[in-house]
Amino acid sequence: MNTARHYETDDLALFAMQLLSKDEMAVVAAHVADCQLCRQQVAQFQGDLAVYAMTSEVHSPPAQARERLMKQIAREKKMVPVERTPAPVPFERVQPRGQTIFAGAEPTSSIGRGLGSGRYLEEREAEKPKRNIAAAIFPWIGWAAAAGLAVMLGSLYHERDSLRSAMTTQAGQIDRLSAEAASAKQLMDAMTDPAAKKVTLTKTAATPAPPQPQGKVTYVPEKGTLIFVANNMEPLQVYKVYELWLIPADGRDPIPAGTFHPDERGNASVIMPPLPKGIEAKAFGVTIEDDGGSQTPTMPIVMAGS
Amino acid sequence: MYREMGLVSASTHMPQDDAGLLVLVRRGDEHAMAMLFDRYSKVVYSVALRVLRDPSSAEDILQEVFMQLWRNPDSFSTTRGNLGGWLAVVTRNRSIDALRRRRPVDAVEDMILAAPYDVADEAERNTMMEKARSVIYRLPVEQRKTLEMAFFDGLTHSEIAEMTGDPLGTVKTRIRSALMTLRKAFQG
Repeated sequence: MNTARHYETDDLALFAMQLLSKDEMAVVAAHVADCQLCRQQVAQFQGDLAVYAMTSEVHSPPAQARERLMKQIAREKKMVPVERTPAPVPFERVQPRGQTIFAGAEPTSSIGRGLGSGRYLEEREAEKPKRNIAAAIFPWIGWAAAAGLAVMLGSLYHERDSLRSAMTTQAGQIDRLSAEAASAKQLMDAMTDPAAKKVTLTKTAATPAPPQPQGKVTYVPEKGTLIFVANNMEPLQVYKVYELWLIPADGRDPIPAGTFHPDERGNASVIMPPLPKGIEAKAFGVTIEDDGGSQTPTMPIVMAGS
Repeated sequence: MYREMGLVSASTHMPQDDAGLLVLVRRGDEHAMAMLFDRYSKVVYSVALRVLRDPSSAEDILQEVFMQLWRNPDSFSTTRGNLGGWLAVVTRNRSIDALRRRRPVDAVEDMILAAPYDVADEAERNTMMEKARSVIYRLPVEQRKTLEMAFFDGLTHSEIAEMTGDPLGTVKTRIRSALMTLRKAFQG
């Protein structure tokens, strides 16, 4: 890989953001892997992006998210790796100066072999094959068995891994479906609850041009459940969003109850935004906010109802 | 503000710092994982929600990112930066992948992050968010919008150029300049 030619910092910034094409990503990744300078620059851009990412407006995840994660984690309990003692090496002994000799075989050096007539040597040579074959075969049978066992274990391990992965996926789907079913039940309960407060929101300034934007809120204070459905909403500029507000009866600050964009026909909805339970509502309102929503309403209130 | 985001974490003064919790997670300690979730779930969820604008999808990304950490805590090592920042960038990348309905582009293990701030210093960490926001708001509006479109909307420079009518080179320069300004503000 040619590391002499470095990439432009503009391109490395795009690479850090994964905004290059697939092919370009692969080429730059290969270069960055070998080029210390470019790698440093990418790391610096990643650091910049981490800071930038954290400028997002703070939102708390739904309470059930933690429960869902902990359930999933409990399902995927880890096998804690056991400290392994080094396996004994029964068939090998290591000689000084790096020579390795199979146990049971004769030393290959002349030391200790004995020197004598040629006949003596011949006898030794004649005996040697028998002993060497036995000595050579038996250890290898052991190794072969071990290798076979290792292959089998590897196969079983992969099988277990894929089963575990499939099980995790299915468990995730079950969790998701359960959550969706619970959510649907909650929705139905709210829609049919006789204690639910139903409020119709209309445009505050009476303009003659029909059709009028209209929103309907169904709100159950005890459960903190809110459903908002709107129609005939006017389209918004890019980077703007409608935000629904719950105005508490006890005079507290308005509580953001979700943002929404109307579709091309002017329809929009906010279904069960995260809201604290037990807040009595005096009224509801809708404002136009910058994209991403706001924690305090920006005047004017474009729709209101109580 | 960082405290609000759940970024108060890595300090060695805390009863359990990130590195210590990750060691426990490696051993399968669910309680340690719950502590990391409590510490960083706001960061992860907020970034995912900012990109996806859908609470349900953001929650899915939240689950995915933390399960990734549970299954493979070694994918993050302290030499790669601070955990909060790393999670924020991983979350953004996964959210963009989800937005574009594509397979994850990179292995999280590949990402090294040079943290431009001192994660061991709680006071400095707490002011980082405000500082970053003020730097971003002081950027020329074109730079700010271009960076936002690239990072949070996952639009490529070609797509941004097409939408804004600006030349490709200008779009690339704006992104790089905005990031360099952010970096300089933290180096100064």
